[in-house]
Amino acid sequence: MSPVQSTWITYRSQIEIGLALLAYMMFLLGSVTILRGNPDTSWRYVIAVVPVAPAAVVVFLFVRRLARLDELQKRIQTEAFGFSLGATALITFAYGFLEGAGMPHLNWTYILPLMAALWAVGAAIFTFRYR
Amino acid sequence: MKNRLRVLRAELDWSQADLAERLGVSRQTVNAIETGKYDPSLPLAFSLARTFKRQIEEIFEAERSRL
Repeated sequence: MSPVQSTWITYRSQIEIGLALLAYMMFLLGSVTILRGNPDTSWRYVIAVVPVAPAAVVVFLFVRRLARLDELQKRIQTEAFGFSLGATALITFAYGFLEGAGMPHLNWTYILPLMAALWAVGAAIFTFRYR
Repeated sequence: MKNRLRVLRAELDWSQADLAERLGVSRQTVNAIETGKYDPSLPLAFSLARTFKRQIEEIFEAERSRL
Protein backbone atom coordinates (compact mmCIF):
# COMPACT_ATOMS: atom_id res chain seq x y z
CA MET A 1 0.00 0.00 0.00
CA SER A 2 1.46 3.38 -0.99
CA PRO A 3 1.61 6.29 1.50
CA VAL A 4 -1.02 8.08 -0.61
CA GLN A 5 -3.37 5.06 -0.36
CA SER A 6 -2.69 4.77 3.36
CA THR A 7 -3.45 8.49 3.87
CA TRP A 8 -6.63 8.16 1.80
CA ILE A 9 -7.79 5.18 3.89
CA THR A 10 -7.16 7.21 7.06
CA TYR A 11 -9.14 10.17 5.70
CA ARG A 12 -11.91 7.91 4.35
CA SER A 13 -12.20 6.28 7.75
CA GLN A 14 -12.46 9.73 9.42
CA ILE A 15 -15.05 10.86 6.86
CA GLU A 16 -17.12 7.68 7.43
CA ILE A 17 -17.06 8.16 11.20
CA GLY A 18 -17.93 11.85 10.76
CA LEU A 19 -20.90 11.02 8.51
CA ALA A 20 -22.12 8.32 10.91
CA LEU A 21 -21.88 10.83 13.80
CA LEU A 22 -23.82 13.37 11.72
CA ALA A 23 -26.49 10.73 10.98
CA TYR A 24 -26.67 9.92 14.69
CA MET A 25 -27.17 13.60 15.61
CA MET A 26 -29.84 14.01 12.92
CA PHE A 27 -31.68 10.87 14.08
CA LEU A 28 -31.42 12.05 17.69
CA LEU A 29 -32.76 15.49 16.83
CA GLY A 30 -35.59 13.94 14.79
CA SER A 31 -36.43 11.46 17.53
CA VAL A 32 -36.55 14.16 20.24
CA THR A 33 -38.63 16.47 18.01
CA ILE A 34 -41.17 13.72 17.21
CA LEU A 35 -41.42 12.64 20.84
CA ARG A 36 -41.99 16.24 22.00
CA GLY A 37 -44.78 16.62 19.42
CA ASN A 38 -46.35 13.23 20.22
CA PRO A 39 -45.65 12.50 23.90
CA ASP A 40 -48.48 10.00 24.36
CA THR A 41 -48.15 7.95 21.19
CA SER A 42 -47.92 4.15 21.50
CA TRP A 43 -44.73 3.95 19.35
CA ARG A 44 -42.77 6.42 21.47
CA TYR A 45 -40.40 3.72 22.75
CA VAL A 46 -39.48 2.71 19.19
CA ILE A 47 -38.87 6.35 18.19
CA ALA A 48 -36.81 6.89 21.36
CA VAL A 49 -34.35 4.07 20.55
CA VAL A 50 -34.08 4.69 16.77
CA PRO A 51 -30.87 6.84 17.23
CA VAL A 52 -29.16 3.75 18.64
CA ALA A 53 -28.94 2.34 15.07
CA PRO A 54 -26.61 5.06 13.66
CA ALA A 55 -24.78 5.03 17.02
CA ALA A 56 -24.10 1.32 16.46
CA VAL A 57 -22.65 2.18 13.04
CA VAL A 58 -20.33 4.72 14.73
CA VAL A 59 -19.18 2.05 17.19
CA PHE A 60 -18.61 -0.47 14.35
CA LEU A 61 -16.56 2.03 12.29
CA PHE A 62 -14.59 3.09 15.35
CA VAL A 63 -13.69 -0.49 16.34
CA ARG A 64 -12.75 -1.27 12.72
CA ARG A 65 -10.51 1.78 12.64
CA LEU A 66 -8.79 0.75 15.90
CA ALA A 67 -8.17 -2.75 14.51
CA ARG A 68 -6.42 -1.25 11.47
CA LEU A 69 -3.97 0.86 13.46
CA ASP A 70 -0.31 -0.12 13.69
CA GLU A 71 1.37 -0.93 17.00
CA LEU A 72 2.46 2.61 17.93
CA GLN A 73 -0.93 4.04 16.99
CA LYS A 74 -2.61 1.36 19.14
CA ARG A 75 -0.35 2.31 22.06
CA ILE A 76 -1.25 5.99 21.62
CA GLN A 77 -4.96 5.12 21.60
CA THR A 78 -4.57 2.94 24.70
CA GLU A 79 -2.83 5.76 26.54
CA ALA A 80 -5.46 8.24 25.33
CA PHE A 81 -8.28 5.97 26.57
CA GLY A 82 -6.53 5.60 29.92
CA PHE A 83 -6.22 9.38 30.18
CA SER A 84 -9.86 9.84 29.17
CA LEU A 85 -11.13 7.24 31.65
CA GLY A 86 -9.10 8.67 34.54
CA ALA A 87 -9.92 12.31 33.77
CA THR A 88 -13.65 11.52 33.32
CA ALA A 89 -13.68 9.68 36.65
CA LEU A 90 -12.06 12.64 38.42
CA ILE A 91 -14.37 15.22 36.80
CA THR A 92 -17.60 13.25 37.36
CA PHE A 93 -16.68 12.43 40.97
CA ALA A 94 -15.75 16.05 41.62
CA TYR A 95 -19.03 17.26 40.12
CA GLY A 96 -20.94 14.60 42.06
CA PHE A 97 -19.49 16.02 45.29
CA LEU A 98 -20.37 19.55 44.12
CA GLU A 99 -23.95 18.43 43.43
CA GLY A 100 -24.08 17.26 47.02
CA ALA A 101 -23.11 20.81 48.01
CA GLY A 102 -25.90 22.36 45.95
CA MET A 103 -24.71 22.61 42.33
CA PRO A 104 -27.46 21.87 39.74
CA HIS A 105 -28.01 18.24 38.68
CA LEU A 106 -26.67 17.39 35.21
CA ASN A 107 -27.97 14.61 32.96
CA TRP A 108 -25.68 11.53 33.02
CA THR A 109 -25.74 11.40 29.19
CA TYR A 110 -23.16 14.23 29.27
CA ILE A 111 -20.59 11.70 30.50
CA LEU A 112 -19.97 10.00 27.13
CA PRO A 113 -19.41 13.25 25.17
CA LEU A 114 -17.10 14.38 27.98
CA MET A 115 -15.20 11.10 27.74
CA ALA A 116 -14.97 11.42 23.94
CA ALA A 117 -13.68 14.99 24.18
CA LEU A 118 -11.05 13.97 26.76
CA TRP A 119 -10.08 11.00 24.57
CA ALA A 120 -9.43 13.44 21.70
CA VAL A 121 -7.34 15.62 24.04
CA GLY A 122 -5.43 12.53 25.22
CA ALA A 123 -4.85 11.34 21.64
CA ALA A 124 -3.42 14.77 20.75
CA ILE A 125 -1.14 14.80 23.84
CA PHE A 126 0.21 11.28 23.32
CA THR A 127 0.58 11.70 19.55
CA PHE A 128 2.69 14.80 20.25
CA ARG A 129 4.78 12.84 22.77
CA TYR A 130 5.90 10.34 20.10
CA ARG A 131 6.69 12.96 17.46
CA MET B 1 16.93 2.11 22.46
CA LYS B 2 19.58 3.45 20.07
CA ASN B 3 19.35 2.42 16.43
CA ARG B 4 20.94 2.98 13.02
CA LEU B 5 17.68 3.25 11.17
CA ARG B 6 18.23 6.76 9.83
CA VAL B 7 21.69 5.82 8.47
CA LEU B 8 20.49 2.57 6.90
CA ARG B 9 17.53 4.34 5.37
CA ALA B 10 19.77 7.10 3.98
CA GLU B 11 22.10 4.49 2.43
CA LEU B 12 19.16 3.22 0.38
CA ASP B 13 17.83 6.74 -0.24
CA TRP B 14 14.47 5.83 1.26
CA SER B 15 12.18 8.37 2.87
CA GLN B 16 10.42 7.55 6.14
CA ALA B 17 7.24 7.08 4.08
CA ASP B 18 9.05 4.59 1.79
CA LEU B 19 10.20 2.53 4.76
CA ALA B 20 6.77 2.76 6.40
CA GLU B 21 5.18 1.45 3.22
CA ARG B 22 7.56 -1.52 3.12
CA LEU B 23 6.89 -2.32 6.79
CA GLY B 24 3.13 -1.76 6.62
CA VAL B 25 3.17 0.84 9.40
CA SER B 26 2.60 4.60 9.56
CA ARG B 27 5.33 7.16 8.87
CA GLN B 28 4.78 8.39 12.42
CA THR B 29 5.80 4.97 13.73
CA VAL B 30 8.99 4.92 11.65
CA ASN B 31 9.85 8.41 12.91
CA ALA B 32 9.19 7.45 16.56
CA ILE B 33 11.46 4.39 16.22
CA GLU B 34 14.21 6.43 14.54
CA THR B 35 14.18 9.08 17.23
CA GLY B 36 14.26 6.42 19.95
CA LYS B 37 10.90 7.46 21.38
CA TYR B 38 9.35 4.08 20.65
CA ASP B 39 10.88 0.62 20.79
CA PRO B 40 9.29 -1.64 18.17
CA SER B 41 7.76 -5.02 18.96
CA LEU B 42 9.87 -8.10 18.20
CA PRO B 43 7.88 -8.90 15.00
CA LEU B 44 8.38 -5.33 13.73
CA ALA B 45 12.08 -5.44 14.64
CA PHE B 46 12.41 -8.67 12.62
CA SER B 47 10.56 -7.01 9.71
CA LEU B 48 13.04 -4.14 9.86
CA ALA B 49 15.94 -6.59 9.89
CA ARG B 50 14.53 -8.44 6.87
CA THR B 51 13.87 -5.17 5.04
CA PHE B 52 17.46 -4.00 5.50
CA LYS B 53 18.88 -7.55 5.14
CA ARG B 54 20.69 -7.17 8.49
CA GLN B 55 20.72 -8.82 11.88
CA ILE B 56 18.59 -7.10 14.53
CA GLU B 57 21.78 -6.40 16.54
CA GLU B 58 23.19 -4.49 13.57
CA ILE B 59 20.21 -2.14 13.66
CA PHE B 60 19.40 -1.80 17.37
CA GLU B 61 21.70 -1.33 20.31
CA ALA B 62 20.32 -1.81 23.81
CA GLU B 63 21.38 0.82 26.32
CA ARG B 64 23.82 -0.63 28.83
CA SER B 65 21.75 0.32 31.88
CA ARG B 66 18.78 -1.67 30.55
CA LEU B 67 20.73 -4.91 29.98
